[in-house]
Amino acid sequence: MENKVKKPKNYMNPYLAGILLGMVLLASFYLTGRGLGASGATRSVVVSAVSTIAPTHTANSAYFSKYTKENNPLKSWLVLEIAGVIIGGFISGAYAGRLKLKVEHSPKITPRKRIVMASIGGLLFGFGSQLGRGCTSGAALTGMSVLSLAGFVTMMAIFGTAFALAYFFKNNWI
Amino acid sequence: MNTRVIICIILISFGSIAAILPKENTSSIRLNADQMLHEIRLATNLISPDELADLLINKDPSILLIDVRDSIEYGKFHLPGAINIPLNNLLNDNWIPYIDQISQNNIFYSNGTMLSSEAWIITKQLGFKNNFVLSGGINEWFATIIKPERPTSMAPTEEWALYNKRKASGMFFTGSKASSADEAALSLPPVPRKKKSRVQGGCS
Amino acid sequence: MGPIVPLLNISNELNLLIAFVIGLGFGVALEQAGFSSSRKLAGMFYGYDTTVLKVFFTASITAMLGLIFLNYVGLIDLDIVYINEYYVYSSIVGGIIMGAGFIIGGFCPGTSFTAISIGKIDALWFILGSMIGIFIFGETYPLWEKLYMSSPLGPVKISTVLGIRDGYFALLLIVVASLMFWVGEMAEKKFKREDITNEI
Repeated sequence: MENKVKKPKNYMNPYLAGILLGMVLLASFYLTGRGLGASGATRSVVVSAVSTIAPTHTANSAYFSKYTKENNPLKSWLVLEIAGVIIGGFISGAYAGRLKLKVEHSPKITPRKRIVMASIGGLLFGFGSQLGRGCTSGAALTGMSVLSLAGFVTMMAIFGTAFALAYFFKNNWI
Repeated sequence: MNTRVIICIILISFGSIAAILPKENTSSIRLNADQMLHEIRLATNLISPDELADLLINKDPSILLIDVRDSIEYGKFHLPGAINIPLNNLLNDNWIPYIDQISQNNIFYSNGTMLSSEAWIITKQLGFKNNFVLSGGINEWFATIIKPERPTSMAPTEEWALYNKRKASGMFFTGSKASSADEAALSLPPVPRKKKSRVQGGCS
Repeated sequence: MGPIVPLLNISNELNLLIAFVIGLGFGVALEQAGFSSSRKLAGMFYGYDTTVLKVFFTASITAMLGLIFLNYVGLIDLDIVYINEYYVYSSIVGGIIMGAGFIIGGFCPGTSFTAISIGKIDALWFILGSMIGIFIFGETYPLWEKLYMSSPLGPVKISTVLGIRDGYFALLLIVVASLMFWVGEMAEKKFKREDITNEI
């Protein structure tokens, strides 16, 4: 029986990928004056959902009401950008043969534990991104490129904390 | 040599170039010397006394005459409907809404063209729009409209037509209807120009 | 002169289309770098994969140099380009919480969307979790409002704070990054985990 195992293509050289990403970021600045972002898109989805389900509550909410001023929070720059990210990622993954439905986890933990950890991590990141006014793409990456102090501080806080806590979670990864 | 070393050498080279570049304040509204010269040569910012006479006689509501001489000279004589913003006070807070706006056409004038041109250059470099200069100023206004030069009898009909037109305009202005126009000049609040501002962005 | 959209008064619809196209580029770059894999991202913190470091710094340095050069040749007005504002405590505390989220979840929002595009189910749960986290923040906002709004210093630039030119800072950052890349590659050799690297 012939065993056809198609090996996925290798990842791009990280330095070259970095230059590619930097060019995309530069194009964004030149074309629109703003950089990249991600957590804002998730927030737009949340605000949109909450205002559809409970419009008066959203209007009264001190935080959410800030984002319901536009008619449709989903018609925002970040949401369209993230739509592009998803499709771009898909195209790249399809080209490289990396499309696969799976729960990626270390063999030391079960898929279920991985899902739990991903959910908790997501919850913390979602909360933190609102408090920190951005995430690694919006505040840290974009911020550093324009030499913003906020960008640097946020970046150092994120990576510093992750390094500091790495020991406690190493069983999840290695 | 592996990729890392090549990339680092390239980046350090570009970084060194970036480090020694002089600080260039590229502004989207400020013109550089070439652009400024081009604009001045085109002279699209100039309004001739004839054109101004037409606008005033037709009571064109979109213009505002701004006298940039000092208040004493303004008091002695000013063009009908003109307001007085002495050049030194041009950038005062209370006058900025009149010169930084998009709803009307301001025409700076002075005795000649020097002060009014200075006002124009300043506002141009600040990105204000719709500001013009009365070419020749009050001196030219008098020489053309109020006391036009009478053509010689051999002159072509166009010259006589222009002379008559100017004389008629002059008579319009030497009447006493100047004062009522003055109050009207300041009654309409101008529409402010949308200033350039930083783009909103990030994850917010 | 750039930025094009604000200076040429481009319509909102066209701006959104540009956002989509830029997102495409963003997604391709992230996926090609391998950031759809949480184990690759987490490798940064255990030494066996420093791709995050390389991509992150190379990207921001590339864009930084690009802006400096475009500004020098008069092609971009940096007064209009977005600079995020510095609220001291919310940046720090938010960053700390995000750092915890990063090491536990193995993703950040941008990479989670790239990952879900190639089928990673754990990324899906990360995204759902982040939506709940945002919802919680919104609902409990009055508790954090004071922290969130404290010490607004505006869009401060590092070069201003250090009193040096943008270009000098870029060079400084490049030198530091070069050192970090070197250390990173040594760490990859020391903390090598072939088993993980072959799997992801």
